[in-house]
Amino acid sequence: MTSPEERLQAAQQVLASWAGDTQSPEPNRLDVGVAAQNLIAAIEALIGARWGYLSAITGLDLGVEAGQIEVLYHFCEGAAVLTLRVATPRASASVPSVCPLIPSASVFERELVEMMGIQVVGTPDNSRLFLADDWPDDVYPLRKDAVLERGVKEQGNE
Amino acid sequence: MSEAVVQDKKRFVVPIGPQHPALKEPGHFEFTVDGEIVTGATVRLGYAHRGIEKAVESRNWTQSLYLLERICGICSHVHAMTYCLGVEKLAGAEVPPRAQAIRVLVAELERVHSHLLWLGVAAHEAGFDTLFMYSWRDRETVMDLLESFTGNRVNYSANILGGVKCDVTPDLASAILKGVDFLEERSRHYLNVVTTDEVFLQRTRGVGTMSKEVAERLGVVGPTARASGVARDIRIEAPYAAYADFPVQIVLAEAGDLEARFVVRIKELFESYRLIHEVIDKLPPGELQTRMPRKIKAGETISRVEAPRGEAFYFIKSNGSDNPERIKVRTPTLCNMGSVVATAVGHQLADMPMILAGIDPCFSCNDRTVAVRDAAGALVTWESLRQRRLAHQENK
Amino acid sequence: MDVLKTLFILLIFPGGLFVLANGMVYEWADRKLVARLQNRVGPRWFQPLADLLKLLAKEEVVPESVNARLFVWLPIVALAGVLTGALYLPIAGLQPSYSFSGDLIVAVYLFSMLTLCTGIAGANTNNRFSLVGATRTLTQLFSYEAPFLLAMLGPAVAAGSWKISDIMAYSSTHPVILLQPVGFVIALIGLMGKLEMRPFDAPEAETEIVAGALTEYSGRGLALFYLGRYAELIAGLTLMSAFYLGGIHNQLDYIVKTLVLLLALAGVQTLMTRLRIDQIVGLWWRYGTLLVLLQWLVTLLLKGMVL
Repeated sequence: MTSPEERLQAAQQVLASWAGDTQSPEPNRLDVGVAAQNLIAAIEALIGARWGYLSAITGLDLGVEAGQIEVLYHFCEGAAVLTLRVATPRASASVPSVCPLIPSASVFERELVEMMGIQVVGTPDNSRLFLADDWPDDVYPLRKDAVLERGVKEQGNE
Repeated sequence: MSEAVVQDKKRFVVPIGPQHPALKEPGHFEFTVDGEIVTGATVRLGYAHRGIEKAVESRNWTQSLYLLERICGICSHVHAMTYCLGVEKLAGAEVPPRAQAIRVLVAELERVHSHLLWLGVAAHEAGFDTLFMYSWRDRETVMDLLESFTGNRVNYSANILGGVKCDVTPDLASAILKGVDFLEERSRHYLNVVTTDEVFLQRTRGVGTMSKEVAERLGVVGPTARASGVARDIRIEAPYAAYADFPVQIVLAEAGDLEARFVVRIKELFESYRLIHEVIDKLPPGELQTRMPRKIKAGETISRVEAPRGEAFYFIKSNGSDNPERIKVRTPTLCNMGSVVATAVGHQLADMPMILAGIDPCFSCNDRTVAVRDAAGALVTWESLRQRRLAHQENK
Repeated sequence: MDVLKTLFILLIFPGGLFVLANGMVYEWADRKLVARLQNRVGPRWFQPLADLLKLLAKEEVVPESVNARLFVWLPIVALAGVLTGALYLPIAGLQPSYSFSGDLIVAVYLFSMLTLCTGIAGANTNNRFSLVGATRTLTQLFSYEAPFLLAMLGPAVAAGSWKISDIMAYSSTHPVILLQPVGFVIALIGLMGKLEMRPFDAPEAETEIVAGALTEYSGRGLALFYLGRYAELIAGLTLMSAFYLGGIHNQLDYIVKTLVLLLALAGVQTLMTRLRIDQIVGLWWRYGTLLVLLQWLVTLLLKGMVL
């Protein structure tokens, strides 16, 4: 079996044409910045090269000042973890759906939609996964500026 | 309900959950059936959603440990360990080898506890209550061991940032070895039962089959993947804690059906027993803890641990302050849930509880992330809870 | 005086109350045995009675959109059917209270009333679990009923009579269980199907369809269905002992033989996994019916040779 470093190098080669800011924050890890419009092509190339599996999708709110949300696609193979970082503006956060390539990503994307308020274009199912049915539509709990007291409907007190 | 049946003659939906005898935790499944054959399935989670991912952002690193440990009652040690390993990596702390070995020891005892629990639940779903009762009786052995080890039957709190809290005394070591030997003998019997009992095999062999290709495509993890021949085990691929010193043999099966999942989990028990013996025999001497700073250096890390149900994935980001900036928790059940919906179609309704149990679902793991409601149905917020506590104390 | 005596027989002893009380004791014995075999503590001796009193004290909820009259009457008909059938049996080692030639057929059909009523009760409601449960109950009824009846008629054919007391007289002098072992096994398994005992409890598989056909029942209606099942347990065990275990001649005979059968039932329940409904149907029609027909053939041939 090839070492994690070799695997990450292979991934770097596969992703070369779309890769933006690339760094290795820790041993066995590689972070590759990818523009939202290139995401599908990049993942397609990874799958074509039979590189790893999609382990998780993290939504990362960089805060109001930065005005950006990052979506991290973590691919794992053995000890190697490759993260595709897609930055999207906070005000109109949107990423393409990866479900056509990886059907199991549906639950991750549903979580992303309701928790982070990111529009996932083309995801097959947008319905609530974790949040309550009467959770207000415009409150995304994992955004840094989410005011959870606001928008809470005081039912029953009417 | 009645109108739904009358109006919707084409689709006959059998709801399982949120409250249902088949589910020990709340989840909601809707199975569309044609006679006894399932033609569609949907899942809705979140009934045990507690907003933990959000809550840790307003707590300091130590408080977060206790909160994250309570994500799950069964694999609590896994969550605490994954978090600790990640934070220690961020802080650049060197954890003493004895502490790492003890983490492995607790993790394997927890795996034994979890797999025996699963064996009982899965047998119960099939209507084999005798196996359920016997495996849960034997599970008490390992729970007692964990209690004398850490002080708790569940939510052990063995981890702290920078090490562990509890040590193995000679008395405890011999008690664990004795208990494990007893369980090993029992597990041999259970393996024999699930592979030879003809009636039970009718309910498991060839049921819920997932091929290796499908398993890989759906991204399933843990014993569910290994039962389909996907060699994926974080303990082997990316050894953490002391697993590099105590190597694990992978347990694989090819069939991918429910029987294979029974066999894989029970054989993993033997592997756990062997590991427990090995760790106790070769427990490195030394300290249990190292000092950890209150503030963690800014940075991001990923921590992966093989939970009893599969790979647990933590993404931890620190901004250099007392509190975590972001912690993302991806539990194994979330990965495996998709496989239930995918394999359900075409099976008998009677097989549904079994197929569901086959992935060993853990709903509180899934729904980690609070919607607490008061009696009037209004949403209770952290702030209002704090206000209530203050008011309560003043009244006293 | 005759009216009083008849009423006493019908309502108190050996019919009516006695059958129900006896049924509760046996139900407890069954639950206790299974519990002990499963390494559990099991219920205390008065548990079935406590369950019954609790249910009777509870409100009976009649759901909307059911035929209320049917909903209320079905459990009564079910219980009445079983209790009437029991009058033709040598309960507690006594001679059957009533008897006529051909009473075996009547009794066996009366015992089917319980299952039939359970099925209709489930189909009457609009609950999805009940509907699935009802389908399964009736499917199972149609699969075990024929082989069970044929197995019961096996000794009758050998005895040359369809009267329960005649058949019992025959079985007292002939070792029926050795002559018709297949019939005995099929009848015993058929009884488990009738009583919806594991492995034939798919109609009320709690992990799939909650309580099956009876999901919507509560309070009195549920209590009556339970009583019906207790009485059916007694009736089934008595019929089996009378036909296959050399007849019932006195009280001790009755207790020993029925309890031995009960022990066998508990053992099978403990060892078995619940079968799916398609497996149950397959089992009965592929093996049960064919085997029992084979048994008939052998019985007829033997009879022909003896005559």
